[in-house]
Amino acid sequence: MAFYGVPQGVSKLPRQEHAPGGGEKEHAEHKGLAPRGTFILVGVFLVAFIVYYFVNWKLLSFVWQVG
Amino acid sequence: MNTTVAALAARFRTCPTTGLRVNSTAEHLIRLNAVFAILAMVAGVIAAFGLVLTRWQAVHLLEAVWYYRLLTVHGVSMLIFFIIFFEMAVLYFAGPVLLNSRVPMPKLAWAAFILMAVGAVMVEVQMWTGKADVLFTSYPPLRAHPNYYLGIIFFAVGALVVVGLFFASLVVAKREETYGGSVPLVTYGAIAAAVIAVITLLHGAAIYVPTWTWAMGWTAMPDPQVYRLIWWGLGHSSQQINVAAMVAVWYLLGALTVGAVVLNEKISRAAFFLYVLFISMASAHHLLVDPGFGSGWKIWNTSYAMYLAVLASMIHGFTVPAGIEVGQRLRGFTKGMFEWLRKAPWGDPGFSAMILSIIIFGFIGGITGVTFGTEQINIIAHNTLRVPGHFHATVVAGTALAFMGVTYYVIPLVFQKQVAFWPLARIQPYLFGGGMVLFTMSMTFAGTFGVPRRHYDISFTGAPFDIQYNAAVDLLLGIMGIGGLIAATAVVLYILIAVWSVFFGKPMPQAATAGE
Repeated sequence: MAFYGVPQGVSKLPRQEHAPGGGEKEHAEHKGLAPRGTFILVGVFLVAFIVYYFVNWKLLSFVWQVG
Repeated sequence: MNTTVAALAARFRTCPTTGLRVNSTAEHLIRLNAVFAILAMVAGVIAAFGLVLTRWQAVHLLEAVWYYRLLTVHGVSMLIFFIIFFEMAVLYFAGPVLLNSRVPMPKLAWAAFILMAVGAVMVEVQMWTGKADVLFTSYPPLRAHPNYYLGIIFFAVGALVVVGLFFASLVVAKREETYGGSVPLVTYGAIAAAVIAVITLLHGAAIYVPTWTWAMGWTAMPDPQVYRLIWWGLGHSSQQINVAAMVAVWYLLGALTVGAVVLNEKISRAAFFLYVLFISMASAHHLLVDPGFGSGWKIWNTSYAMYLAVLASMIHGFTVPAGIEVGQRLRGFTKGMFEWLRKAPWGDPGFSAMILSIIIFGFIGGITGVTFGTEQINIIAHNTLRVPGHFHATVVAGTALAFMGVTYYVIPLVFQKQVAFWPLARIQPYLFGGGMVLFTMSMTFAGTFGVPRRHYDISFTGAPFDIQYNAAVDLLLGIMGIGGLIAATAVVLYILIAVWSVFFGKPMPQAATAGE
């Protein structure tokens, strides 16, 4: 039930659970609990990181020419 | 005996939502520190409007003196007073409250708060009356009124006492067995923040005391190079307290908003420990173009030590969203890759603030920061608008936004009031985050075209020489101005919501505090 001016975590605190561990892990992956979406988001982050980093080295090579 | 037990019991209340026993001294100190953080934010955001409308070259509102004055006010009020008052509140929450314990030496805790408040007021008075136009860094030979330095020393000593009391509260909780097993991860993160705070505040004392004696005319001016080396141990490390506290807040908000799980306690704790070991050395990236330090020293501190601290942020950047995803999947959102994200509570300002904080901190603040921290690349970014573009993405869109998000939970849980102007509160994180994306991105690109940071007038009006910038710069500075105004307006909304809720808000309805 939602209340005006009350965040849902206060009016309905989610049950605090532990991540599947040890022998439960394979079972968890089978049940679709593995964080597959986060792996994709992290991949996007890494690509952005690599592109920006190397663009800056390229920019440096224009400003600071060797030879 | 019965009287003593009754008196002790009266100092606690049990939170109906979390079941935590909340010590009344801790609760009062959390409230007061939060109120002073907001007051500091008021000063900072007034200055922000002036700065944005001056750096927007087409508007160029202020005279030079007032521009530099407000730049000082903005930096000190936001980066020191707002953030550290809020962090003191986080320490009282993560220590005594989360551990069901009490505040040791409550009189000392009150004295520390008063010392911090007096220090902050002294500094604000000096800045607003034009006696400390020295910018946030106050590099010698710029010299402020002695009371400016004294105020900062008072504030730092008060904060150091609070950090000491936080450590003492851990000992008391352990001795009185108020919790079982290891401390919670949020408390562990706060411990990391507190250790970094000790390093930071000792650097502050080491440099501000001789600067104060110089301002009094008792000693010679500190060597500028030594000043810069030690000052950045304060100036940058203080922002690393923020990072550790912000990550702790991410874990807290993840648990409160969607029941996020901690994927691996050991890995998350190890990442916090990496912050403690290596993050202070990252201060060296401020000195990468200083001639007084060798390349070996610079490269070790920035391209080795700093990367280990960055590794810690990347670990948290994975474990926090992954914990949210697993938590959501445990609740049945298992369809496809992103059902857990689509069906997340986007209307909960605590959740939206946390997610936007993670994204902007990582994608804009993190990527730009690591890139500029490379010695060779730093030479093309140093002292340009790219630098404030980076740190507004980390400290403002990262830390401040996370703190705004947790405020929407502090109001009902600690102040026991409903959040006022609820429809506005639900959009406030989007307004602030969106404004900051425009602001930081346009600053970063304008800096790439060579626009200097801090500078009052990039057109050098009346100078005997002429500086030409790429035509794109005017457009970028215009977008920066619009983004800055949107973000500053969102800060005003946040202040209005927080102040109204705390002082004039309706009490929490009893029915609204039942757990799942």
